[in-house]
Amino acid sequence: MSRKKEQKNIGAVMVAGGGIVGMQSALDLADSGFYVYLVEKSSSIGGAMARLDKTFPTNDCAM
Amino acid sequence: MVEVGRHPNIELITLGEILKVDGEPGNFTATIKKKPRYVDETKCIACGECVKKCPKKVPDPYNAGLIKRKAIYVQYEQAVPLKYAIDPEHCLKLTKDKCGNCEEACPTGAIDYGQKEEILEINIGAVILSSGFTPFNPSEYDNYQYSSFKNVVTAMEFERILSAAGPTQGEILTIEKEPKHPKKIAWLQCVGSRDINRAKNEYCSSVCCMYAIKESLIAKEHLGKDFEPSIFFMDIRAHGKDFEKYYERAKKEGVRFIRSRVHTISEDPKTETLRIGYLTESGKVEKEDFDMIVLSVGMTANASARQVADNLGIKLNRYNFVKTDDLMPVSTSRDGIYTAGVMQGCKDIPQSIVEASAAACYAGMKLADARGDLVKEKKFPVENSIKDQSPRIGIFVCNCGANIGGIADVKSIVEYAKTLPNVEYVTENLFTCSQDTQTNMSEIIKENKLNRIVVAACTPRTHEPLFQETLRNAGLNPYLFEMANIRNQCTWVHSKEKEKATAKAKELVKMAAARASLLEAIPDISVNVGNKALAVGGGVSGITAALSLASQGFFTTIVEKSDKLGGAAKHIAKTSNQEDVQTFLADIIEKANNHPNVEVLLNAEVTDASGFVGNFETNIIHNGEEKTLSHGIGIIATGGDATDTEEYLYGKDARVTKWNDFEKAFDKADNPQNIVFIQCVGSRDENRPYCSRVCCTSSVMKALDVKKKFPNTNVFILYRDIRTYGEKERLYKEAREAGVIFIKYDLENKPIVTSGKKYLEVKVFDPILQTNLLIEADLINLATAIAPSDNKKLAAAYKLSVNEDNFFMEAHAKLRPVDFTTDGVFVCGIAHYPKPIEESIAQAMAAASRATIILSKSSIRISPLVSSVDKEKCIGCGLCVEVCSFAAIILEDVEGKGLRAKNIEASCKGCGLCAASCPQKAIDMLHFKEKQIFASIQAAA
Amino acid sequence: MAEFEPRILAFLCNWCAYAGADLAGVSRMQYPSNIRAVRVMCSGRVDPSFIVRAFKQGWDGVLVAG
Repeated sequence: MSRKKEQKNIGAVMVAGGGIVGMQSALDLADSGFYVYLVEKSSSIGGAMARLDKTFPTNDCAM
Repeated sequence: MVEVGRHPNIELITLGEILKVDGEPGNFTATIKKKPRYVDETKCIACGECVKKCPKKVPDPYNAGLIKRKAIYVQYEQAVPLKYAIDPEHCLKLTKDKCGNCEEACPTGAIDYGQKEEILEINIGAVILSSGFTPFNPSEYDNYQYSSFKNVVTAMEFERILSAAGPTQGEILTIEKEPKHPKKIAWLQCVGSRDINRAKNEYCSSVCCMYAIKESLIAKEHLGKDFEPSIFFMDIRAHGKDFEKYYERAKKEGVRFIRSRVHTISEDPKTETLRIGYLTESGKVEKEDFDMIVLSVGMTANASARQVADNLGIKLNRYNFVKTDDLMPVSTSRDGIYTAGVMQGCKDIPQSIVEASAAACYAGMKLADARGDLVKEKKFPVENSIKDQSPRIGIFVCNCGANIGGIADVKSIVEYAKTLPNVEYVTENLFTCSQDTQTNMSEIIKENKLNRIVVAACTPRTHEPLFQETLRNAGLNPYLFEMANIRNQCTWVHSKEKEKATAKAKELVKMAAARASLLEAIPDISVNVGNKALAVGGGVSGITAALSLASQGFFTTIVEKSDKLGGAAKHIAKTSNQEDVQTFLADIIEKANNHPNVEVLLNAEVTDASGFVGNFETNIIHNGEEKTLSHGIGIIATGGDATDTEEYLYGKDARVTKWNDFEKAFDKADNPQNIVFIQCVGSRDENRPYCSRVCCTSSVMKALDVKKKFPNTNVFILYRDIRTYGEKERLYKEAREAGVIFIKYDLENKPIVTSGKKYLEVKVFDPILQTNLLIEADLINLATAIAPSDNKKLAAAYKLSVNEDNFFMEAHAKLRPVDFTTDGVFVCGIAHYPKPIEESIAQAMAAASRATIILSKSSIRISPLVSSVDKEKCIGCGLCVEVCSFAAIILEDVEGKGLRAKNIEASCKGCGLCAASCPQKAIDMLHFKEKQIFASIQAAA
Repeated sequence: MAEFEPRILAFLCNWCAYAGADLAGVSRMQYPSNIRAVRVMCSGRVDPSFIVRAFKQGWDGVLVAG
């Protein structure tokens, strides 16, 4: 494949937000060959889901 | 979460804020402001000593402010990274230069008040935004009385009240001086959603009905038979997979659902009982008393997310969520920047996870040529063989500061450990997990020729991987390692019985050492992966998945049963945001037909399949010919379609149509008087106890089209609940404004359609007017149930499961919405559940993203903790095959012996069900062998 | 004579019950010290013969949690 740009793409992705969504994106990318920076505004990841008691319809633990 | 924290290719930047992103897609530079933690992450061991000494209490946002935490904190006990942080707004040292207790208390010297804000620049190819949402704050709205009455709480607060790790350890108590168990709790729906008068949020938050039902059911579980939960609602929106069944279950278990409008909440000043005044469906004024009221608050766009959007120059929609197109879900207005989750709009967890993977897929497509450029892999020295060596155990006992050492007598544990069989070396450490101890440990192993290691410390769940890495650095197989959990399961839970804790710790060490003596080296297993893909089904989902993979260099075959690509989308004119589906469909079909990496097989069907992740062989019949396809992964996108019905004269009277046949009938109609739409035809009943999800939106859109063309035509929608979830609520509002008449009916009292000469006569009971109506309809359109294709054969071929309604069952309803329990096979589109086109596209891309994880490697490493079959003992009974949920064990013909069990390492999850079930004891589990388990049982007996 | 204190063996699933026992520790919940946990990858691993064997060896109670 010929590319117009001389510079090659950078094989790293920034994911902003360390909730369940950010973590899933980060894992998918990191497991398929990309380096991921996961930027979270608070002191630890987990987001809203870590606050839930259980999830329906299976009533599984949210952790 | 732990996986994220430990991943060598994920770098966590906590306390970070994105200031800007410069550059071009493929080559951006992001500028991030990293606020100080005031705790050195490399030194903090999360022992919690600092918290004990911190004098400053702060409301705890993790527990929705219900209780207080200290100014030095972790958000919650399983936080990642598990490192404390100081809240600079409240810390006395940082605000007033007083105190300094935590610095004194910290055993590792991790506190650093001098840390400064840093500005980081990182070089990246793409960006994914997923900053979540802010729960609606009801405190400014006096009608909810949230600020005035203590026992009016938000659903987030109630979630913490229910949690065993919450402020009341899961005991539900009213909030007053003498808390009691509430007898009656009311949930009020649509607080801050579907509300244009007060909250100004016209959209539906999409998740509150279900979480309210969940909370009411769990509260019922906690509080027992006499507890009376009530939910005050407008429409119950149970539009997700298996949600309707959950709703029905709640009704059976005694949750009361009251269709109503609540107008006032008041409190008896003496008893503090809360009173709800409301209007019933028929307009009657009622009141009822409750001990507690839970406000089912909606989701709103995040202020900080808005800031990020501004900083990055991406567009937001009218509700301040990130703007995307239906046909390009998760793509923002700026190329190379994607979004997922509630930042894009209200949605539940599975849909958020789908989008997360879809966004990863877009980023992967954009950066396909740079895949693998920047990832790191750890290198270890060559492993020493321990074959024929007798066990030489080394035991490391951790003090964990005072966490273990302050309670148990570590010196005596060390002395005791020295007396155990095969033990060559014992030492104690202040912190066994610290970096310098790890380096030392590696040296000690080499010097003393140790070949089994026991660490008596915290829990293997967090620390086993760390110690295993140290073993590998010392040239030992990582499975020659065992932990004795003398902290979490000993000193922490017996902190007041110091002697007993010491005695138990000794026994735990003894058990671990006995087991360690019998541990065996287990080699890594990896399987080669074929990098071709197969998509079963050539609708929007199958094509999208195929194109997503093909553009990343993975050859994909689409197997389509019919003679055309396009599937159910062929009949859809536009999306809910009026985007043109047919142009889009023609475009992707053309791309699929011309892409060098896509092969389209029409008139083709899967007959059976064998193999496992990375190595599938699928037999198909293509144009009458048998063929075998070899592929590494499979994507199941077999779709579904609108069903037929025998109700409401369908098929007997041409004026009664279903779904999009309406357009043809309508085009012929000349200024019709009355048009009737009937919802839930064959959905949400005994035969199909699920909601078809898309019909309300579709009928509302059709009704609007009618009104646009013939403003004087009366349009009636006969419904059970209007489920225009999320931003589709706007269409419902527009329809009401346009004069579309909505009449609710019950399953017990369905409308009756009879054929008159000139008109179709529709009889329906109107619950508002409390009377029967007769509508003389020119046309009737039925929203019949959406049902999946016949999936049984395919399910059997790949050992997949389908639910009662014949939709494919994903691995986990919440967390793994496109995976199957069978590795290497993924599901998307209507085969999973009815869904609108934008959700199918997102799910197809998510499936492609999950598939890429496998396809991007030439081989995959799998956990070697699998079953192993003794072919001499096996009698080929097949019980193991039957009990295995992962299709990881099969029967194969061994010459001269007959059938024998064979494990498929790549599919095995190591659960051991086969081993426990084997009547011949011919199966054992590596690392959890019977003799190893017995050794520990015996050691402490 | 001291009161009889049963000795209990617990087979705990790594993914739930064992994690739960760890969390009990994190939350500093207190419980009697007469229980010993054996970690397994799934409670399905627990062959009924393991339980019989444990009783034979003198354990007074066996808990399988997962």
